[in-house]
Amino acid sequence: MSDSPYWNPRHETMSRDELSALQTRKLKALVGWADANVPWQAKRLRDAGVTADSIASLDDLRRIPLMTRDDWMQGQLEQPPYGTNVAVDPSAAIRYHMTSGTTGKTPIRVLDGPKDWEWIAEMWCYGLWGFGVRPADTLFVAFGYATFIGFWGLHYAGEKIGCLVLPGGAMTTDQRVSTIVDMGATVVASTPTYALRMAQEAKAMGIDLAAGPVRRLILSGEPAGSIPATKKLIEEQWGAKAGDTAGMTELGTIMIFECERQPGGTHIIEDHYIEEVLDPDSGEPVPYGEMGERVVTSFGRGFIPVLRYRTRDFVVKVPGSTCPCGRTFDIYEGGIRGRVDDMKLVRGTNVYPRAVEAIIREHPEVDEFQIHLYTAEGIRDEIEILVEIPDPAVDADASVAAIGKELADTHEGLRFEVRRAEDGSLPRFELKAKRLVDERTVIGSEGERREANR
Amino acid sequence: MKDATGTRELTAGEQKIVEAYAALREALTAHRTELPPFAERSAVRAVAVLWQAMNGLDMDPGQVYHLGA
Repeated sequence: MSDSPYWNPRHETMSRDELSALQTRKLKALVGWADANVPWQAKRLRDAGVTADSIASLDDLRRIPLMTRDDWMQGQLEQPPYGTNVAVDPSAAIRYHMTSGTTGKTPIRVLDGPKDWEWIAEMWCYGLWGFGVRPADTLFVAFGYATFIGFWGLHYAGEKIGCLVLPGGAMTTDQRVSTIVDMGATVVASTPTYALRMAQEAKAMGIDLAAGPVRRLILSGEPAGSIPATKKLIEEQWGAKAGDTAGMTELGTIMIFECERQPGGTHIIEDHYIEEVLDPDSGEPVPYGEMGERVVTSFGRGFIPVLRYRTRDFVVKVPGSTCPCGRTFDIYEGGIRGRVDDMKLVRGTNVYPRAVEAIIREHPEVDEFQIHLYTAEGIRDEIEILVEIPDPAVDADASVAAIGKELADTHEGLRFEVRRAEDGSLPRFELKAKRLVDERTVIGSEGERREANR
Repeated sequence: MKDATGTRELTAGEQKIVEAYAALREALTAHRTELPPFAERSAVRAVAVLWQAMNGLDMDPGQVYHLGA
């Protein structure tokens, strides 16, 4: 079976009816566990009339109250440091992790027991194996191993599969590139942004990564792994296939991965999660092919049970059968499309950073960019795009003009001021990139004005 | 031996894993005080690892925090 393209062949190819039965059985057990061990969850469930015995099918899922990040944070305030959603005495934990804090908010803190920690790696195994990573591979992990969960699970998944794992923490970018080359790494894990950064560094060092042995890139941490132009750029620069994955600290690991067939989306690991897609306003399910908000229920980590958690991620779900790989697991077409909170209203037009990146990455001459929002003359929203175009052989003025036109064309004619930034002047990122800087003092000059939350 | 759904017969290899998991659990419940630290902690870790196989085989292994795993 070691030649199977699937990590768990039976689960990944079972019929949708069998999958529903499996999920229902696990949901019943999860509700029973939360009810018995988490008083905060028990009250919510019982107030909604939900007990394990009352779960007969997946239709019963919708009777479970939705949980929000605010609920989570409130719990941490009421019962610091870990909150009210903890099922086991913290002394039983072997791991502590927290969110990356890129939003500036108080981090979510999580604990894992030994079984949870193994499960976190198990989820990454679905993704690595499904994208063709095998025991003979040498896996370099470009990640600053610390309290952010990041690629910790991937590291142990690589060991579990039998790869030679090279931990790339506490290194400069040139040291990482040198290690990848010197050790003959065949698989590299990083954020999409950092994959591009390493490629830039390699070029500066006179190294042709595309001629080297790297054959797979495992991307995570940003939606860019599923932006076609960004993925194409990464694949060209590395001469390797790039596969998107996405996870979250609240779950401890990934919940979606791109398979080797690269269907333009990511399979949901549906034997371990139920992923609903709901209208963020009405809370009603949206059909296949329509964008909505991800709501996740996890059968993995028991230390902190996650039942119907609103993620604020935008996704479009399509049937697994749209991919030729044989998996029955449904797909998020285009991966994570962005976050509800990412959207910016600029002079009445919705601007999503992902959409801006998709256009800029069509211009490989741009090494780095930044989206800058500010208030002009005390009243008017302005959006400018700063771009670094270091190659003197490129007609930078023409590029700047083209990017400005393409952005306007895709944003109802909104004027983007595209300006060149000095080479190397824009921030570089190792983890989650933060390319949007919102310095507006008032927001929404065409609509309801409010003080910016600065 | 069938899985927890009662519909699928486990293969011989899968049955061996189920038996190993059961034996480890037994060691940690009935014989824990006899075990030296290296053996006890190795067994706990092994339970955490084999739980993944039990879960993947649809053996509904439940939670194992009470074993320290």
